[in-house]
Amino acid sequence: MTTSTPERSLCESFPRLAANGGGLDVGELERLRARARRFAEEHVRPRALEIDRRTDEDPSWFDWDLVRAGVEHGMLGFMIPKPAGGGGARCTQSSVVMEELCAACPGIALIFGAHALGFSPLLLGGPSQWDGVLADLIASERTGEPLLMACAITEPEAGTDVEDPDLLTRARITSHARRVPGGFRLNGAKRFISNGSVARWITLLMPTDPRRPLETWTCFLLDTRSEGFAVARVEHKMGQRACPAAELTFNEVFVPDEQVVSREGDGAGATMIVLASSRPPVGAIATGIARGAYERLLGWLEEDRAARGMLERQHVQLALAHMEEDIHLARQAYMDAATELEHTALGAVMSNPGARALEHVPASIRRRAHVRGWLTSDRARDATIALLHRGTSDRAMTRSLALSSLAKARGGDVAMRVTGAALELVGLRAGPVRAELEKLWRDAKLTQIYEGTNQLNRLEVYRGLCRSETISCLPPVGRS
Amino acid sequence: MSATTAAERAEIRAMARELARREIAPRSAALDSGSEDVFAECWRLLVELGLDRVLLDESHGGAGLDVPDLLATVEELAVGDGGIAMCVLLCNAALATLSDEQLADVPAGARWVLVPAASGTEVTQSAGQLDGEVACALGAHGADGLVIFIAGPQSAAWAIATGAQGLKLEPDTDQMGLRAARAASIEMAHIASATATVELGGSVTSTSGLSAPGLLRAGTAAIAHGIARRAYEMAFEYANARRQGGVEIIEHEAVSDMLSAMAVRLACRPQIVLDPAGTAIEEAQALAAKIAATDAAVASTTDAVQVFGGTGYMVETGIEKLMRDAKYCQLFPEPNWVAHGELMRSERAGRAA
Repeated sequence: MTTSTPERSLCESFPRLAANGGGLDVGELERLRARARRFAEEHVRPRALEIDRRTDEDPSWFDWDLVRAGVEHGMLGFMIPKPAGGGGARCTQSSVVMEELCAACPGIALIFGAHALGFSPLLLGGPSQWDGVLADLIASERTGEPLLMACAITEPEAGTDVEDPDLLTRARITSHARRVPGGFRLNGAKRFISNGSVARWITLLMPTDPRRPLETWTCFLLDTRSEGFAVARVEHKMGQRACPAAELTFNEVFVPDEQVVSREGDGAGATMIVLASSRPPVGAIATGIARGAYERLLGWLEEDRAARGMLERQHVQLALAHMEEDIHLARQAYMDAATELEHTALGAVMSNPGARALEHVPASIRRRAHVRGWLTSDRARDATIALLHRGTSDRAMTRSLALSSLAKARGGDVAMRVTGAALELVGLRAGPVRAELEKLWRDAKLTQIYEGTNQLNRLEVYRGLCRSETISCLPPVGRS
Repeated sequence: MSATTAAERAEIRAMARELARREIAPRSAALDSGSEDVFAECWRLLVELGLDRVLLDESHGGAGLDVPDLLATVEELAVGDGGIAMCVLLCNAALATLSDEQLADVPAGARWVLVPAASGTEVTQSAGQLDGEVACALGAHGADGLVIFIAGPQSAAWAIATGAQGLKLEPDTDQMGLRAARAASIEMAHIASATATVELGGSVTSTSGLSAPGLLRAGTAAIAHGIARRAYEMAFEYANARRQGGVEIIEHEAVSDMLSAMAVRLACRPQIVLDPAGTAIEEAQALAAKIAATDAAVASTTDAVQVFGGTGYMVETGIEKLMRDAKYCQLFPEPNWVAHGELMRSERAGRAA
């Protein structure tokens, strides 16, 4: 089948990659992309329609076999730091993988994307997190029974509000993490949580004082086997159904102090950093959807008897050219955002010699009680935060967030436009390709909504690029 | 057919609106999920009110109304459910294509469907036989009869009872929109005029002077408009109830701008122009109206889902269904890009004449 994947190498397409500012190995990135494409061709696309139909009938149905196949192709742990046993990939790699998987099926890709989003707050914790859940996730992959993660932010009464610090101050937050001896008791509900019904571990954000959500927004790591946790329901979605979206309830769920990610009250800034790193992959998801529609359309135009003569029509030629333009620019946008994050925003942190040296400390030493005690101590947390402040700044993070938001919003619009145009070109009579295009069109709509609506994302662009504003993203130094 | 007075027209519209609000809209989710019992119940109500035969005169059990009445009726029904409105349109278009003698053979309450088909690529007519395949024929699944309407140089209409020999219908399991008008793939193997209930070779217009493609396009425009109205109503209501950032979301211009754009599209609805006799739809106008109304409906329903945010993406809200229904209107009876080509051909032919 014809593909719109550039014939140029990633380095030729994106010169910034060659600068290696974020310590990126471009050859490894190419190999990762090839691996993702192979997984998509062998496992994802052949199952996409069938899974979509099954989950239309039963939204809670989940294809664990597909997750296991993903493990074999390294699609689950590649974002986990190398010291924890993962692939050590970052935003750029994640984005490239997402485009490949989403060209086949964005719903299936979202399982892996939501898993990565789930553990991404842990990555900000640095070495203190390497030997906990992250290592458990890798260990589970080796047993053949992989564990998944999810990230829970949205609440029934607060969607957009929890994705923006200004709105959070006025949000109707109904969840509450109450301090008790040794930890917190969690109460409330979270909604539309991707992987929420199948995750073993969830990172979730709640205020410790609902009257001051911005100042007390805190990230917790929750074992879903905890007493008081329940999956209230799995939503019946328009698209991206392979990945279940669940409503989760918390009734006096106990979370010990050790499972507060970073520090109490650091959640709002951490959310901004997580969004800066998760929106380029969402731009890539959208780009992949558009590319998938384009490739299917072109294949149909070239091969199907019903499409005979259509490629001779100027209307069709112009429409295809317009799709190429859209996909090309969407890809440039997400790669620019991803490399900005790695080169400018977090690059100095990632390439800090001290941080890199820690990666070479053997796990057997890291796991010794006194070393582990130090790594998880307040002093170590403060050192990690100090490193963040030395390596980057709120302004750099805000600019990175704005570029990520730009890539996300542009990608979402492109996905809708390209899938809609492809569907219109084939019409109702096209046969099997119509079902695939209809699915991609339904899938595409979500990319304009999740990770903040496109409207909210464009307001981030305004603040970060048009007005050069600065959002407080980094946790304050010396609070512990 | 006698001209309807303004008062009668308002009454008909009000009746359809009430039916849509009370009976159709509450069943919309069940219709979308393919419940045949719910569909049968809705069809029974429509037949009771004579909405399956709006254009036929009373001797054929019809209401004896005009094309604008039918268009107003399907628009109002589409506010309740686009697929049901499409079934009403397709049945009326099919029955209006039949002659008086042929209509006499169609029992009361029977649901017929007009199926547009392309000559050569989809169907062929030779030696008094009809062969071919038509994919995704809206409303065909479960219908009592089909009028295969063939445009092009050999234009013709074949009326075929669905039990006829040589006719095979397979439900379309992947239908995304207008799902109450359940689609089927139609296979026709050596359908002879003798096996068909009626055969209307050479006739592209009904005895009333209606053009079937023009009626389908104008009717689809009306249905799209009804769907867009429903989307606007739901989005407006939600935006006034949902609070984010400490205020109702309609207070955010990011939301109110989308609602305003929907209102503008509704206000600028394209008009259908009839000939001086009040029966025939002007072809170019019908094409333009269909393109404009369905594009507007897709834009408005997509924005409506956006106003709802994540909630709108969930099936139970009922708003994403409108987006799927609107998209199918854009593709029927032909995709809009094809309609654009037809429009220019029609314009050029008109000026050359």
